[in-house]
Amino acid sequence: MLTPSLERLIAELSRLPGVGPRSAQRLAFHLLKAPNERTLALAGALTQMSERLRPCSRCFSFAEDELCPICQDQRRDRTLLCVVEEPSSILPIERTHEYRGYYHVLGGALSPIDGIDPGDLRIDELVRRVDAEGVTELIVATNPTMTGEATALYLSDLLRGKVQLTRLASGLPVGADLEYADELTLGRALLGRRVLE
Amino acid sequence: MTDGHPWRVHDLEITDVRCWNHLSIEIPNGLVVLCGPNGAGKTSIIEALVIATLGVSPRTSQLGELIRASASVMRVTGTFSESRAHDMTQHREIGYASGVGRRLSIDGAPVRQLAQWRRPSSVLVFMPEELRAVKGPPAARRRGLDRLLEAMVPGFSEHLSGYQEATTQRNALLRRARSTGIDPASAFAWETRMATHGAVVVQSRRDAITELRPRFAFWLEALGGGSGGVLELESSPSNLCAVDNDALVASFVEQFARLRPRDLAAGLTTTGPHRDDIWIGIGDRDLRRLGSQGEQRTAALALLLAHRDLLRAAGSGPILLLDDVLSELDPGRRQALLAALTGDEQVILSSADPDVSFADLPAETTIFQVRDGVCHV
Repeated sequence: MLTPSLERLIAELSRLPGVGPRSAQRLAFHLLKAPNERTLALAGALTQMSERLRPCSRCFSFAEDELCPICQDQRRDRTLLCVVEEPSSILPIERTHEYRGYYHVLGGALSPIDGIDPGDLRIDELVRRVDAEGVTELIVATNPTMTGEATALYLSDLLRGKVQLTRLASGLPVGADLEYADELTLGRALLGRRVLE
Repeated sequence: MTDGHPWRVHDLEITDVRCWNHLSIEIPNGLVVLCGPNGAGKTSIIEALVIATLGVSPRTSQLGELIRASASVMRVTGTFSESRAHDMTQHREIGYASGVGRRLSIDGAPVRQLAQWRRPSSVLVFMPEELRAVKGPPAARRRGLDRLLEAMVPGFSEHLSGYQEATTQRNALLRRARSTGIDPASAFAWETRMATHGAVVVQSRRDAITELRPRFAFWLEALGGGSGGVLELESSPSNLCAVDNDALVASFVEQFARLRPRDLAAGLTTTGPHRDDIWIGIGDRDLRRLGSQGEQRTAALALLLAHRDLLRAAGSGPILLLDDVLSELDPGRRQALLAALTGDEQVILSSADPDVSFADLPAETTIFQVRDGVCHV
């Protein structure tokens, strides 16, 4: 019933996260009905992305040139470096407008179960950057999960003495009600309480 | 005792579990006695109640074994409440089909994870053919204690699963280091996580044992098991017993690092809270290994009542499920047990004795006759 090209499109769409065979079919039929220039624009965007995007040679986020836009920005604070697991963590931190330093993307977190050892992450590159770029504070912003915390511990042991290490605080979401907080988060928030100025 | 929040079961419906084709009963408050010949399905009713609250059977780890011979799906549903006022009523359902797996729901809404569905403090169960809490492997004794702590200590289950997750990661690392020769230096990151979570686990277990010890001794003596009943946490590594709570984290970090070569050779973590055991004895005699069947029964019962007391003190009264508990007790001990069961909690016990001396039973007792595939008052 489906033509080979439509079948291929559905198969490719259903590989996307959160897209099952049914929604893939729905998307495919939607694209079928859309004007030609829209589908070509989408195809063009995909081609361009896969042709042009590559890892930034300094921070390993995504870039179209040698360096990503953040690494190219000379006005940022060279002494601050923020370590994240994936490039997707950079965007939310940037949106805070609270951070003016550079980033380093590890490409994941330590997880021996999944076969991810220190050698599989960009840790040697991180150590070289800390030595070479005059970094004074390293902000460890790996996820507050078991693997993210273990990675933070590993980094702190590796780099202790070379640079000041800080970890993102855990606590309550702004504007949230205490009664809806889970015990774990609230417990951490209590442990990490601060003196009122 | 009225300020607590005792658990109650109001009704139970069983479909294709063991010998039961279909059973639907309303269960009143107070003492309930299931009375009937062997093989009539009394134990299966108790088992169904455990499954409806904990999601696992006390008799088997394979839910598939519970499905009635000619059926392919089993189902247990029940209405439970957590306080006397019926205001926290929940309708719980568990189904199991071989090849398909388990289905859980609360008030009709599906629940994916067993951890979210199960209610560890809601029942305490005694089964004479089991006695795993006394003579079983260390894991069985540990699990009994951890279930109590999950119900009583906020955050305990997160620390326990955090410890287990970090240990699994360390084991994976050690195994791969053993086979590929990579440097297991990053193990210390997992060891630090294990120490942080493990220290809370051990500290909670110590506190619980301290609370349980006098209660266990009291009930052991009251049930005729003799004086001098002792519970002790047997920590792993064994020298941890001498370490104060404050020093637990540092001690774990040091020990895990020191034992890394040995663990590397074994390909797994050979010491830690996952190897803890509970010593159960009279004086310095180990009841786990040396106790007679009768002594182990009494110890299991005393341990159950000690758990009940602790949960009661914490304001959460469990339903007591006691399978065939009266048969081997002499009249004096039977009296002592029945006296211990007069509280606010619901108690369901089974008996194959056709003429249980019902004169012994308290006034508020309901007797169900279980035979020939029916169960009626």
